Amino acid sequence: MQLHTRKLLDRSFTATGFFSILMMACALVLILYPIIKRGTGAYIFRATVEHRRVQFDEFGAGSVQEIGQEAAEVAAARQPVFDMIAGHEEGLKTGLQDAFEQIRALAATEGGFLARSIERRLKRVHDSSSLEECLLILGAVQETLEGRLQNERHQNVISLIKERKKRVHAEAKKLADMKDALRDLLGPLPGDRASELLRNHYGQTRWDRCLHYLDKFLYKYGWDYSDPLSGGVKVRTPRVDEFHGTAIEPIFAYVRDNLEAMMRPRLTFYWRFLTTDSRDAHIFGGIWPEVLGTFYLTIGAMLFAIPMGVIAAIYLCEYARPTRTVSLLRSCMSTLAGVPSIVFGLFGLAFFLNTVGVSDSKSVLAGSLTLALMILPTVIRASEEAILAVPFSYKEAALGLGAGRWRTVLTVILPAAMPGILTGIVISMGRAAGETAPIIFTAAVSVGLALSPLQTLNNPTPALPWNIYNLCTEHEAVDEIRHVQFGMVFTLVALVLLLNIIAIALRARISRKLRG
Amino acid sequence: MNAVTVTSSKKQSLMMSRRADFMQRLGRNIGQTFLFSVTSLSAIAVLFIFFFITRDAIPFFMPEAGNFNWSNVRQFFSETAWYPSADPGQFGALSLFYGSAIVTLGAIMVAVPLGISAAVCLSDVLPFSLRQIVKPVIEILAAIPSVAYGFFALVVFAPLLQDSGGSVLAFGFWLIALPVLGITSFIAGEAFAARFPEKLRKTASLLSISVLGMLSLALLWFVGQRLAGLEISSGTNAFNVSIILGIMALPTVVSVSEDALQAVGRELREGSYALGATRAETIMRTIMPAAISGILAAVILGVMRAIGETMVVWMASGNAAQIPAPFYNFMEPVRTLTATIAGDMGEADHVTGSSRYHVLFALALCLLAFSFAMNLVSEAVVRRSRKKLGKS
Repeated sequence: MQLHTRKLLDRSFTATGFFSILMMACALVLILYPIIKRGTGAYIFRATVEHRRVQFDEFGAGSVQEIGQEAAEVAAARQPVFDMIAGHEEGLKTGLQDAFEQIRALAATEGGFLARSIERRLKRVHDSSSLEECLLILGAVQETLEGRLQNERHQNVISLIKERKKRVHAEAKKLADMKDALRDLLGPLPGDRASELLRNHYGQTRWDRCLHYLDKFLYKYGWDYSDPLSGGVKVRTPRVDEFHGTAIEPIFAYVRDNLEAMMRPRLTFYWRFLTTDSRDAHIFGGIWPEVLGTFYLTIGAMLFAIPMGVIAAIYLCEYARPTRTVSLLRSCMSTLAGVPSIVFGLFGLAFFLNTVGVSDSKSVLAGSLTLALMILPTVIRASEEAILAVPFSYKEAALGLGAGRWRTVLTVILPAAMPGILTGIVISMGRAAGETAPIIFTAAVSVGLALSPLQTLNNPTPALPWNIYNLCTEHEAVDEIRHVQFGMVFTLVALVLLLNIIAIALRARISRKLRG
Repeated sequence: MNAVTVTSSKKQSLMMSRRADFMQRLGRNIGQTFLFSVTSLSAIAVLFIFFFITRDAIPFFMPEAGNFNWSNVRQFFSETAWYPSADPGQFGALSLFYGSAIVTLGAIMVAVPLGISAAVCLSDVLPFSLRQIVKPVIEILAAIPSVAYGFFALVVFAPLLQDSGGSVLAFGFWLIALPVLGITSFIAGEAFAARFPEKLRKTASLLSISVLGMLSLALLWFVGQRLAGLEISSGTNAFNVSIILGIMALPTVVSVSEDALQAVGRELREGSYALGATRAETIMRTIMPAAISGILAAVILGVMRAIGETMVVWMASGNAAQIPAPFYNFMEPVRTLTATIAGDMGEADHVTGSSRYHVLFALALCLLAFSFAMNLVSEAVVRRSRKKLGKS
């Protein structure tokens, strides 16, 4: 081979190495970027007046005067919208007026049972009854008439009702559609019945969601199947086209131009996201129960894993002689390290819950035990490495001064190895905090309140990793709460990375100490 | 007087009474036994895991003691119909095994080339200061929780694949194939030109390189166009999961194989350089063969990481218990063993004792047996490599 071909091969070899490291860094950036960017969006975002109302009503945050004043200003900005809708409904109702008059006239001349039934129905119509009610009553009257012996006059009235209903009904449907879109944006409209679901009591709390729903309000989305070759094309038509020439036409321009006045977006640092619990399946509120659950599970796992792991490491490093038993123990430990995490979950279910019965159902205790088992090999290995890294001269000096073996371990080796052990512990804490599979069957529930420390013995808890899974796959409004999901992922990743940064800093200190 | 009593009492304290000696030895023995029992407790845990998983898996294969249900066993390993909630349930787990296998294979195809070349770069190419920057990157990749990877796969990567999968694939293809084909055509051209006499060699190499380059560019363009025209019906598929699992397995592969490369030692490297080999030749012909068993162990650990992973595959593999057609189609949703255990146990839990419950333990037993076997292999490999390096 020629020299410059060999050089080229060498260069390309080096380039391959750099390329793969670059790819790795790119993968890290690509994964972390959306999580951090959209995750911080759960904490810092442009919050609307609805957000502040939720905070005030549900969590008691904010002052009465401010909320009240803002609510009044917002209501003033929204009033023209409601007025326009009311005016339009009134107009549609007057379109029905002549049908009602005809029916009244019919009832007055008819007499008998038919008249009484019609009268009874008509009594429910008054000036303030809504368009839907009027249409319902008209339909009922029509049915009554159709059920009777019919003459030409009845026929006339029926056809009039039908024609009016048809005309107004189409309009009313468009209007109802538009009102639904408006409800999604602004919250309940005046005259709406109070909904059972908390999510229907408020409009959009975030400005980005506002803009999304503003688009849904201004445009109608549908599917066009006219071309049989391609399966359906999404079409977007301005909603204003449906209302050309009516009194309500300016509403779209008004909402578009005055949305800021109606929603009052303000850049907010929502730290309560971390410290409050959630309302109505995470549509409102924060993630405190999940954070606390993760905290309990991690601390519980460490409570079991640290003593066992450190003791095992001391034994393996300082006492164990290289016998068959010890090498068998080591094999067992490396097998334990290789067991898939989901198998740990099944084991926790079969052993801690179904056989030993540490608690009646899933509990933090059972989850902690399972997690502890899972991170035990990591803790042992890290502690072993730290103990082996202590210079042999320390041990010799201690033994030479007359200290016993046990005393040497306790007073010389362990303190010297402590930073290294701590590093391992912190890293495995991160692993325990982020692991999901072992806690699915042993500790985690989707919905739950924050537990007190005593309750952890016998109660399951929501936990960040499990609820991330749950919210992004099984929640009924997955797209509505993307910011909560990203917020949770961000919180978990930040927690784990913080622990790792602590570990890296600890390690840097150790190496500086050893060098200096 | 005083001094004398002090010395005499000291003399006494130097000699331990028989009782004190016994107590001390007893204490030491008790202490050691305690340490040993705590240590063995953590080792016994793995035996417990085997025992309890097997105990709950046996009723699936053996409904009555000592009486194998062969039809169940045959169905379990050879059929693809997985309908645990039907009556009677159908438990053909072949498609689940296949799903785990294809996903692991994909992850390995991502993690092994990238991981090994990154490890080589880390151990032999990068200067110390850069290495200090790259190491934390690997650590952070390893530290990110699996559910965060799964979330990324489901919420960010899957929609991207579904909306513009063709262009993503084409971009990835260009990114990898362009340098590879470029270098290959260069070297092939040189090799071809070497047959010509000295005078013509330069023009011949120029000509052949440009012809080969053109050909490979045409190939690139053609395949890239074909890939860009692909439409992916579902973003949650084996391809998506393979990429993410590959990234997750990367840190393991990189750090273990870097350790293996480091363990080879300076002498071999220096000897090779002294004979005039370039860095590439040193690594490919000297270091790699010496470190091959350690690298094999790294690959095995990567396989174990990928096959045991639950959350990513549960969230982003599509969870369709099927063998895709054709069988190498990575763009179809699949379902793995781990995802099945995680997903079905929620429903099977309250029917503890049913075959739906036990079949999940049977799946877990298969996983456990596989990872145990892998572990044994990797241990044997590492032991062999230690022996080899110790001798040389």
